[in-house]
Amino acid sequence: MRVLLVEDDAALADGIARALRAENFAVDIASNGEDGGHLGATEHYDAAILDLGLPRRDGVSVLRDWREADVRLPVLILTARESWSDKVTGFKAGADDYLVKPFRIEELVMRLRALVRRAAGHAANRIICGPLAFDAQLGQFELDGLPLRLTAFEWRVLSCLMLRKGAVVERLELLERVYEGDADVDSNSMEVIIGRLRRKIGRELIETVRGRGYRLTAAPA
Amino acid sequence: MRLIPKSLFWRLLAISTIATLAALIFAAFSIGHVLERFVMRGLDERLDAQIAIVARAVRPDGTVDPALAADLPPFDRPGSGWAWEIRAPRGTARSRSLAGGDLPLPPAIPRGHRRPRENAGEPRPFEADDGQGRRLHYRALTVSVAAGDALIIAAGPREIVERPLREAMLPLLLSLGLLGLGLAAATLVQLRFGLRPLHALRRGLSDVRAGRLRHVDPDQPAELQPLVRELNALIDENAAGLAGARAHLANLAHGIKTPLAALVVELAEPGRDPDGRLRALVARIEDSARHHLGRARAATQSGPRRVATPLAARISDLVAVLARIHAERPIAAEVAIDPAITVACDPQDVDEIAGNLLDNGWRWARGRIAISAARRGAMVDLVIEDDGPGIPEAELDAALQPGRRLDERPGGHGFGLSIARELAELYGGGIVLEKGDLGGLRVRVTLPAPVG
Repeated sequence: MRVLLVEDDAALADGIARALRAENFAVDIASNGEDGGHLGATEHYDAAILDLGLPRRDGVSVLRDWREADVRLPVLILTARESWSDKVTGFKAGADDYLVKPFRIEELVMRLRALVRRAAGHAANRIICGPLAFDAQLGQFELDGLPLRLTAFEWRVLSCLMLRKGAVVERLELLERVYEGDADVDSNSMEVIIGRLRRKIGRELIETVRGRGYRLTAAPA
Repeated sequence: MRLIPKSLFWRLLAISTIATLAALIFAAFSIGHVLERFVMRGLDERLDAQIAIVARAVRPDGTVDPALAADLPPFDRPGSGWAWEIRAPRGTARSRSLAGGDLPLPPAIPRGHRRPRENAGEPRPFEADDGQGRRLHYRALTVSVAAGDALIIAAGPREIVERPLREAMLPLLLSLGLLGLGLAAATLVQLRFGLRPLHALRRGLSDVRAGRLRHVDPDQPAELQPLVRELNALIDENAAGLAGARAHLANLAHGIKTPLAALVVELAEPGRDPDGRLRALVARIEDSARHHLGRARAATQSGPRRVATPLAARISDLVAVLARIHAERPIAAEVAIDPAITVACDPQDVDEIAGNLLDNGWRWARGRIAISAARRGAMVDLVIEDDGPGIPEAELDAALQPGRRLDERPGGHGFGLSIARELAELYGGGIVLEKGDLGGLRVRVTLPAPVG
């Protein structure tokens, strides 16, 4: 899972990014509205955390532009503006959630995961695919009822496939959702991660769709 | 007792009444005096003529020549009050009207002022009672002859002067009285008319206060224009001050909350705050910042305004917002509000009041929230009811106290109720907590309905 964090306060942005990375998220930081707006409109993210009082462009107008351009990115507004009228404005502009500063990082993580899960069309917290279970609230995988230990990259790939289980995820899109914007991506690295995952959860669960990407499925075709 | 009335109207009325009365009284006295002198001169001339006639009867040796002491009417009629008397050194004579009696005289005949020489031949006047209740007017002349001084006195009834004087004074006083009434009426009209701009100014100012106007109409009489200019400047300064305070407050909120958020995030990292002591401290700062900033924001509201905010639209927006904020807790919100119901509150304040209360409802409800509103006289009742655990009867009052934390769940803050109450009270409304029919808490917010 890759998240866009648009926040102008460097200390807060770093803190949030560190905390999110510790929870296996890939995080891109934009420190102003213009950059954030551009990134959100052009890259694949699972969610965006958007401050409202941003330099160059206000968060609300960034969000409006995304929605006008049909960017469906789930957006969580994270702001010091706590009046209910501001919240109404934020949601009307197209926000999916709203969190007022200061906040508990656990709540941000929890809300972010819920946002990504709901955006993928899952109403329940627990997503099951054959022997594999994903607690979208806690961000934990289980295999045959036992906790599954994964690296951050493995977790990102598997959670992405899990949220869209049964559907083909394009290889390029999967790469984008796994690596942060400034990462050096080796063209073979995805195959390496998939290989390691297959060793951990079993070969048959992840299906390679030639020329397109990968699919997680409990009943291989 | 204060001598100067507080009211300008009464002050001006008192001044003009006193001045008019003084002028009228002075006019009555001076006209009366002139009239009296005018009428008195006729009497004096008659008495002086008699004195001049009988003065010739005093012979140089001090005796009186009775042939020359001519008795012209009405001095010959007894009881008429007309009379004269000569007191010469060696003889006296008196008018027939006295019928042999003495001319009633006061104990001492006033010597009068020492007159200049050229006036020596002028009789001097005095007045006295004739002993029978009749006022007499006297003229006395001292004539010097070889044998000494002879005193010649003539008297006439004063009544002869007083009757025409009365006859003249009565219509005079009447017309002066009428004049006074006319002046009083003119003063009243003048005061009403003259003070009218002040009343208009007061109405204008109350329009500004009620939000019907932005400024007091500057088209005013010259004397009020500087005042109105100052007032409008004050209104502008007040508005600017309020806007400035709000902006500062927003900046302050942002300035405190962002680093505080960074601090919370840092402290949450593993190993940073093992026993949670620092996080507890930060939570306290957070709570009090949130509380005081919320209160300060409520205090910088512009107060009652003549706005009509449709309640149903605000509530449905807020319900949509809350449904998304609490997306993990599906709550069925039943909104039954007549779209025609409006409240005389700023839309942002309505959002703040209803948002806090609805949020509270969402936190506590098990599955249902019912929202309704009804106009009750000059007020609108907004009722929010949930099917949660409610608040025990004994704690209902305490729940509205500021800083009271009813909700210990993460992300919750217990200040919503007290902020909502402060805002509602700012508008002259209030909040009542009671046990609801759904089993949970029923919050009844009273807000003013628009006037007219």
